[in-house]
Amino acid sequence: MSTAREEILTALRRGERGGNSAPAPWRSRQQFDDLAARFTATLTGLHGEMIRAASADEALDRLGDVLRDLGAARVVVNDEPPLAGVDLAARWPGIAWHVVGRTEGDLRAFCAGADAGVTGADAALAETGSVTVSSGPGRSRMASLLPPVHIALVAAERLTSDILTWAAARSGDLPANVTAISGPSKTADIEQTLAIGMHGPKRVIVILYGE
Amino acid sequence: MNEVSFHTFRADAALAIANPHLQSAVDGATLKFRRDRLRALADLPDVEAMRDHFKAMRAATLANLSEHLEQFERQALAAGAHVHWARDAAEATQIVIGIARQHGARLAVKAKSMTSEEIHLNAALDEAGITPVETDLGEWIVQLAAESPAHIVVPALHKTRQQVAELFTREVGRPLSADDIPALTNEARRALRKKFLAAEIGISGANIGVAETGSIVLVTNEGNGRMVSSVPPVHVAVMGVEKVCPTWDDAAVWLELLARSSTGQPLSVYTTAITGPARDGDADGPRELHIVLYDGGRSGMLGTGYEEVLQCIRCGACLNHCPVYQEIAGQTYGHAYSGPIGAVLVPLLHGLEQYEALPHASSLCGACLEVCPARIDLPRMLLDLRAEEVARGVIAPPEQALEKSAAWLLGHRRLFGLLTDVGRVFQRPLLSKDGLRVPRRLNPAGKRRLPSLAPRSFHALWDELAAEEEAVAGAAPVKRAVRAPSRGRIAAVIGASVVPLVVLWHLLRRRGGKR
Ligand code: SF4
Repeated sequence: MSTAREEILTALRRGERGGNSAPAPWRSRQQFDDLAARFTATLTGLHGEMIRAASADEALDRLGDVLRDLGAARVVVNDEPPLAGVDLAARWPGIAWHVVGRTEGDLRAFCAGADAGVTGADAALAETGSVTVSSGPGRSRMASLLPPVHIALVAAERLTSDILTWAAARSGDLPANVTAISGPSKTADIEQTLAIGMHGPKRVIVILYGE
Repeated sequence: MNEVSFHTFRADAALAIANPHLQSAVDGATLKFRRDRLRALADLPDVEAMRDHFKAMRAATLANLSEHLEQFERQALAAGAHVHWARDAAEATQIVIGIARQHGARLAVKAKSMTSEEIHLNAALDEAGITPVETDLGEWIVQLAAESPAHIVVPALHKTRQQVAELFTREVGRPLSADDIPALTNEARRALRKKFLAAEIGISGANIGVAETGSIVLVTNEGNGRMVSSVPPVHVAVMGVEKVCPTWDDAAVWLELLARSSTGQPLSVYTTAITGPARDGDADGPRELHIVLYDGGRSGMLGTGYEEVLQCIRCGACLNHCPVYQEIAGQTYGHAYSGPIGAVLVPLLHGLEQYEALPHASSLCGACLEVCPARIDLPRMLLDLRAEEVARGVIAPPEQALEKSAAWLLGHRRLFGLLTDVGRVFQRPLLSKDGLRVPRRLNPAGKRRLPSLAPRSFHALWDELAAEEEAVAGAAPVKRAVRAPSRGRIAAVIGASVVPLVVLWHLLRRRGGKR
């Protein structure tokens, strides 16, 4: 191992106070009566958009409505629930689809030119109006990042109170990339004036389905 | 390097104070951040207890920092990341340049990172023939203007929309209007999008390192952190060794407090946890992830009276609440770290002699301590640094003599009373409604009016009050203890005091002007 490593560690050990004073983990004290209501309120407050659907099927119908309203012609979609296995081309024939991991061709170039990216989400944090997306086979990081619109389909059972409850429920290995997304990309770097859509999507639409 | 002497500091502060645009920009931004912070923290149950917990967690982590770093390294390696260690800025920049060269990189996109500012990574990359492009909008503006950040969270705070439009016009080669800020932002989106897609390497800092999984956490609102870590084939993250925490439970508390303290958001728009490079079968993501663990003088602070400063999470709350920062703004501090945290951290990182004025950039009001999510006692450390300046002779001997005489004088009540009595006589010709009218050349306060001595001293009023209370309490009435000084005593004191006072006065003025 490098000398820099040894030197830094030695210097740290020299200064460390030692002992075991680590406090017991802090647990969330949030008590939301209605996780979905809180999630909706926070997300819309962050300029995100929220659509409720009773079932996964209805969520796909709502997705169709959104894509039609957008006039989307090129859409990248992650191959994950509840989208995996859906015959997109048959259902929405007017759209050029790129199904991550299935469609041939340059994913990055497609994402950069796509009108929308559609993904699932592993969790929804009620407190902060966030959805978490993960990397993996069939799960592109760029699908929720490069297109101007990100549509995330989330099962209501994935709602959790906040990042503390998310961390407490977590176990085992993490995917290479997990991102909590709280509304559209934004900046206020020019004269403190809010501008939506700096690098990431300008619109984030969450379709929350199921009870 | 960027020395900040008493002289340059005063001159820069005066410039900042005389700049009306800067003043209103800083006032507006800090006021908004203060309000939003309060609102965001109010949403958390038991937030004060949570801050106590956070402080305890940070302190406990530092108490065994080497172990946590070793665990972090083990886990990061297991996830497929490369881990490098850098003792100083030269080592850190060489590591980054080496990785870039290995991949033949000519263009590097950078997410907002204070650590990379600290090691002057851009200059080093430039010199090595690799073009660094800042992709945080504020950092990009500051980079295009070849300036330094005015605030650790909002770097381009000081630029007007007109100035931004000019800079962008030059960059995109088309005239852009300053009227429409979203349109300007859109231009930046388009220009920087091209850079993201063209860059061979992405560079970021790391807000948090989580030891249990070897993950780094990146937090941004614009998405620059996601971009540099997802789009280019190689991602390099430079992380200060103090940014590690043991578990995800700890990281979650950190995240609950970070954005709330900083911009008053519940969570930043993008919170990304990165655990190694793209895995086999992953749809996309960088093939390589390099984590540079950077010491840069931090290990030397462990176990000293300044250890607490390593608990800092760079939220910027102390800047937003500092009455001195609000007047002088970031550039006056002569370093990317400004405000109260900069005033403590910069002299510790780069030398008290080089940044002698910074520990004095505080009124010691204590606001920074009150708002700091980690409850870092910055006022105490500012005082400790000042004491060190005295001990190390950074403060010039004449001023030290003056301060010592003042301390001695204040410790001798009788003499002090006598001298102020004398002062009351001598100030008479200078008295005006709002203080003393001292000829400009002789006025140590410059343009400001010196206050006059009150007609009666606090001591005299106090004695009087005490006497009255005793009388009311029914005790034997005490004769008033207030004595008028005799003319003879006044004459005696004048000779003994005025001459040395005038001498010291001028020495003090020279110190301000010469350094
Ligand atoms: S010292 Fe405290 S308040 Fe200031 S930036 Fe660091 S964590 Fe935030």
